[in-house]
Amino acid sequence: MNKEIKFAMYAIKKNIQNGAELRGSFLINIFGMVINNVAYIFLWVYFIKSVGVVGGWTAADIIGLQAFVAIGYGFVFSTMMGIRKIPEYINSGSFDRFILSPKNLLIRIATASFNASAIGDLIFGLICFAVYIILISANFYQFLMMLVLVVLATIANLAISIIVGASSFFFMDPEAITKGFFDLFFAPSLFHGGAFQGALRFVFTFIIPSLVIGTLPVEAVRNMSLGKLALVAILAFVWFFIALRFFRYAVKKYESSNFMTFGSQ
Amino acid sequence: MKELRLAKKIIKTLVKDRIQYPGRLLADTLTTSGRCVVLLLLYYYVFNLKGGLINNTTFIVAAWSIFFYFAFMNLNLRNIARLIMADVQSGNIEVLLNKPISYLLYRSWWQIGAGLYSFLVVTLLGSVALILIIGIPSTMTIALFLPTVFLTFLMAVVLSLLIYIIVGLLSFWIIDINPVFWLIDKMVMILGGSYLPVALFPNFLYQISIYSPFGASQFITHVVYESWQMNWYWLILVQIFWIIVLGLAVYFMFRSVKKKVSINGG
Repeated sequence: MNKEIKFAMYAIKKNIQNGAELRGSFLINIFGMVINNVAYIFLWVYFIKSVGVVGGWTAADIIGLQAFVAIGYGFVFSTMMGIRKIPEYINSGSFDRFILSPKNLLIRIATASFNASAIGDLIFGLICFAVYIILISANFYQFLMMLVLVVLATIANLAISIIVGASSFFFMDPEAITKGFFDLFFAPSLFHGGAFQGALRFVFTFIIPSLVIGTLPVEAVRNMSLGKLALVAILAFVWFFIALRFFRYAVKKYESSNFMTFGSQ
Repeated sequence: MKELRLAKKIIKTLVKDRIQYPGRLLADTLTTSGRCVVLLLLYYYVFNLKGGLINNTTFIVAAWSIFFYFAFMNLNLRNIARLIMADVQSGNIEVLLNKPISYLLYRSWWQIGAGLYSFLVVTLLGSVALILIIGIPSTMTIALFLPTVFLTFLMAVVLSLLIYIIVGLLSFWIIDINPVFWLIDKMVMILGGSYLPVALFPNFLYQISIYSPFGASQFITHVVYESWQMNWYWLILVQIFWIIVLGLAVYFMFRSVKKKVSINGG
């Protein structure tokens, strides 16, 4: 396992170095994404101004939501962008080279690609994280909770990304379909959490776990709720376990496209 | 006439292609569901919580406005920027510029053809679902509604294409247009009334949305409001103004772009 982690770290380092070679484009992508993400804060803060407080959610909570979601997304896709590219690898036939690699298949695929703009998400998330701490005047207990929840939200984000990526093995046109699945999971995670109530909250917590990566962590921190922290932890690990099993099962469905792409990107 | 035949051929071919791959329709339906349906359910809850009226707007009006935004998004016209960037990055641009057709028109028809099938199906199904579930507001039953919707829709298509063509043409100078694309896309998203319907905008944001090309490219979201009956001609004039301005910008940009490209053949 140690060897696999070392390999993953090495691959991530090389990916970042590779991306940073085109310095101008690299930096513009990062800062472009930071500015891009501000739009969601702008939208939901104006939503609160127009509609008023819903479900106890204030503007600070919207910033907290962006922090959890952006850090999770940014970390997963700046280091493991290969997961999003599984459909592309399958379509092009270049998945063969991963299967033939002696390394752990999932780690090998995940670390095969890098997304500079996801670093922008990560930076944006960290800025929101700091602003959120200041806005809610977080105490030490809340700060610790936030750290734990960021890790759990990232695990949940990774788990769903693996499941969506692995679903590519079951479709003829995987790129379009997995994009749809990912949107279905990810878009609601950026919505105002206080407006998810009743059946809608149940669906987006247990069936499509969009709320696990942002809304529930914010509510856990705000209310200092150990119950919600435990719920996020359980859901994150259960989905991660399901993701690993599903990936192993899905890979067996793969049939080589017999393209001459061995060794190519 | 030749141009029209080409447009017809491109659109027909791409619609057939999309029918052949139902996965793409499923993807677009999932995307619309992930955003629009969830958003409508959220607003339903919020309007109920606030007694059914926010900023003198009812849920039914806000819902249709949001739906029109997401239905229009299914045309995916913004993707023209990335297609142009891909042509520039791959070098395919030199082949396309050498063909005896207008490159920008070719790309525009391509983009319309690629999104048309999903747009028609999702809009039709969505409209039927909305009519059955929440009904239609009285503003959609007046005689003026359909002709003005059609007019503003056409203007919105042209304006959206022009906005994103300008973004795409920037790839001749900066290669990677993604950051600019995100910025413009978010301006369209905010000012177009996507997550926050225009009726809930504060006054200054509403004014920006009316007079900027980003908001004007989504005037289709205004058609359900009472104010549309009074100022539809003014809003369409704003769209025409931006079409002329951005059309000229595209013309001059493309002229300078053609001088920049060195075609090596081979």
